Amino acid sequence: MSDEKIVVKIDPDLETLIPGFLNNRNKDLATLRTALEEKNFPSLQSIGHSLKGVGGGYGFAGMSEIGAAIEKAAKGQALGELKDLIERYGKYLAAVEVVYE
Amino acid sequence: MNKPVESIRILVVDDDNDILLLLDKWLKQEGFEVITVTSAEEALKKLMLARINLVISDLIMQGMSGMQLLAEIHRENPLLPVIMLSGQATIPDAVQATHLGSAAFLTKPAAREDLIGHIKRALRIGSYQTAKGQFGKNIIYKSKAMSELLELAKQVADSDITVFITGATGTGKEVIARAIHDASARSQKSFVAINCGAIPEQLLESELFGHEKGAFTGANTRHEGLFQAAHGGTLFLDEIGDMPLSLQVKLLRVLQDLQVRPVGSTKTYPVDVRIISATHRDLDAAVENGEFREDLFYRLKVVPLAMPNLTERREDIPLLAAHFLRRYAGRNEKPVKHFAPAAMEYLMTAPWPGNIRQLNNVLDLCSTLCKTDTIPLSLVQKAMQDQPGGIQSLKDAKHRFERNYLLGVLRMTSGHVANAARMAGRNRTEFYKLLNQHAIDPAEFRRVKADESEA
Repeated sequence: MSDEKIVVKIDPDLETLIPGFLNNRNKDLATLRTALEEKNFPSLQSIGHSLKGVGGGYGFAGMSEIGAAIEKAAKGQALGELKDLIERYGKYLAAVEVVYE
Repeated sequence: MNKPVESIRILVVDDDNDILLLLDKWLKQEGFEVITVTSAEEALKKLMLARINLVISDLIMQGMSGMQLLAEIHRENPLLPVIMLSGQATIPDAVQATHLGSAAFLTKPAAREDLIGHIKRALRIGSYQTAKGQFGKNIIYKSKAMSELLELAKQVADSDITVFITGATGTGKEVIARAIHDASARSQKSFVAINCGAIPEQLLESELFGHEKGAFTGANTRHEGLFQAAHGGTLFLDEIGDMPLSLQVKLLRVLQDLQVRPVGSTKTYPVDVRIISATHRDLDAAVENGEFREDLFYRLKVVPLAMPNLTERREDIPLLAAHFLRRYAGRNEKPVKHFAPAAMEYLMTAPWPGNIRQLNNVLDLCSTLCKTDTIPLSLVQKAMQDQPGGIQSLKDAKHRFERNYLLGVLRMTSGHVANAARMAGRNRTEFYKLLNQHAIDPAEFRRVKADESEA
């Protein structure tokens, strides 16, 4: 696996919100993994939908893109695809580096 | 940071706390006061307690949905701007939201500038205010009653909210409907008007929804209905109260599904049409009597506008008279005439059951018949006597004709029913039935003859 950082430029006005926001997204990752184990597709779809909406708003376009893909895969109950996407999301969160400018 | 916008309070509704935090930040940076809640139910409670200038709501939430919230809000306050924000917006959702009066329908993730732009537009802040002054510029008035009505119409014009206009015959319902269309974002598309009371049921269905070739006898070609003709624009359903019940069901379905199926077709077509409807009837009573569907009534009556009678805006009569006289002078290529003071006084105090339409007809007649520059009182009085109280329905006109006809033949035969029936080409039984329907007593005519003989 690559340990390359993903640099995301965020509006400095949002600086105070970002730690809490990323903390919540890590909680989402844990919930996604549990939902995947339980094949809880409604939950997977709902979290994917939420990531899609919230990620882009804060400036994390990559997060929105993965969220949309999770939502779509959950709708189609594509387990294999969901597994890959959740793994990809985990890597994204680990690699993301916020720069305020 | 932008210049603060004083005391404009925005209620944000979303079940995602991170979205609320983000919007709170963005809006406060623009100088707005912000209240955030995580459900539609909480939003309704806040709306009861606090003065709110605009609502931003998520579409899909636990419990009451954003669409239901929008409908609830506009049931209480149709002028409160609501911006819908959704992660999975579909075109039918967006169309339904705009019909329910949402000021904008945005998809998540919404760009900050986009959202702020829509908020300012909905609140008519800054450059968006200038367009308001143009509303209804061709409507002639100075009365408070019209001023208040036009202010309300102006406020709703810019959204797609469904408007319901009530008012007596000749008060100018279509003029207001057109002004609303002209001031809306749909102004470049068609304004299509239909009088639902003037067309037989089957023809009305075909006119509204269209028909396929061969759908019924005489349908030699395919016909695109008025819903499709008005796609992207406004459909004005005049005299909606006269629409037959069977068609009301079909209209309701179109308004719910936003799709039309032409008569004889298996295909449906999506339509994006703003509906403005109007009636001279008391539809509350019609609903109570089971003559008009309650569900359709409430779908149409989102923003009610009540047209004042001409007698409730008498101060507008001189302005309207001057306007019409200028128009006729231009048409006839003659100098503009004016009214003698007594004639104007008469116009100002007349009962005007036919409202502006009747005023227009009277002035047209006066202008045509008057050979001098000043229209005298006697001519106005004559024109008023010649004018019925507005346009009658065909049924009323037929009834009136039939009654006058019966009175005429009875006068001619001095109340001799057998002779009168013969003249009318009816047998006596039928003729008596007609007399009963009109409550005419032939004996009255015999008595008149006897009185005349004695005299």
